[in-house]
Amino acid sequence: MPVDWEVPLGVVSLLLLAVGNYIGLFVAPGEKFMADVGRIIYSHVPVAIIGMLVFLAVGGFAFGYLTTSKRGWDSAMEAACEVGVMEGILTLLTGAIFGRPTWGVWWTWDPRLTSAAVMTMSFVGVLMLRGIVRDPDRRATWSAVAGILASVNVPVTYMSVNWWASLHQPQSIGTTGSMIDPSMQWILTFNMLAFLFVTVWFIAARYRIAERRAEAEMPEPLPEVAT
Amino acid sequence: MTGVIDGGWDYIYACYLTSWVFVVGYAGSLWIRSREER
Repeated sequence: MPVDWEVPLGVVSLLLLAVGNYIGLFVAPGEKFMADVGRIIYSHVPVAIIGMLVFLAVGGFAFGYLTTSKRGWDSAMEAACEVGVMEGILTLLTGAIFGRPTWGVWWTWDPRLTSAAVMTMSFVGVLMLRGIVRDPDRRATWSAVAGILASVNVPVTYMSVNWWASLHQPQSIGTTGSMIDPSMQWILTFNMLAFLFVTVWFIAARYRIAERRAEAEMPEPLPEVAT
Repeated sequence: MTGVIDGGWDYIYACYLTSWVFVVGYAGSLWIRSREER
């Protein structure tokens, strides 16, 4: 059964996302050059940024497992990895839909697009590794190492628009502040918070499933010997 | 030519719909797996 706060969190998350998406679709002003197509920002950007944060978290959970060998870290890594892959694929799809009317192509081998695809595929590899290793301890250790290696892709993807000539625009929000007009910024922030709620809900629910599977894999206790 | 993109609502709706299909689909998969693991 879901824990007590899981269902309310799910309902609140979906409501927040629905409200945020409605505002993005029908209330937000058009962007200066992209006009209405700019509304895709409120759907695509939160998924992309939260997805990258989740991939970073995979590296953190993996490090936690390697330093403590506690099963909870491994379950958290499995949960975050799967949610991150789902969000990574969604980022690529919504990015393709965004690219067609703005760049004229669904896909191009641009540094940001390519690095985002490589990043997502590297975490797919971590999930595949988990699928083929049967021994729980080996699976946890090997996938933790793979998870840390895969998470190196996150800063590379984030910085790709600065390091290489990219069709993708550079970051609009940096250490010096935001270049987004306040009339759009609050809507983007609202949608990012809503998607963060959704993501926390997903990871919590997936963590519980991973923990239950791990418990089922535990060896049966040895029978007591009569003395 | 004004340099501003005209229209594009099909893409906008497609993007939001894709997001919701993923979110609802993944939530559904978690619910199913949660029941199976019970």
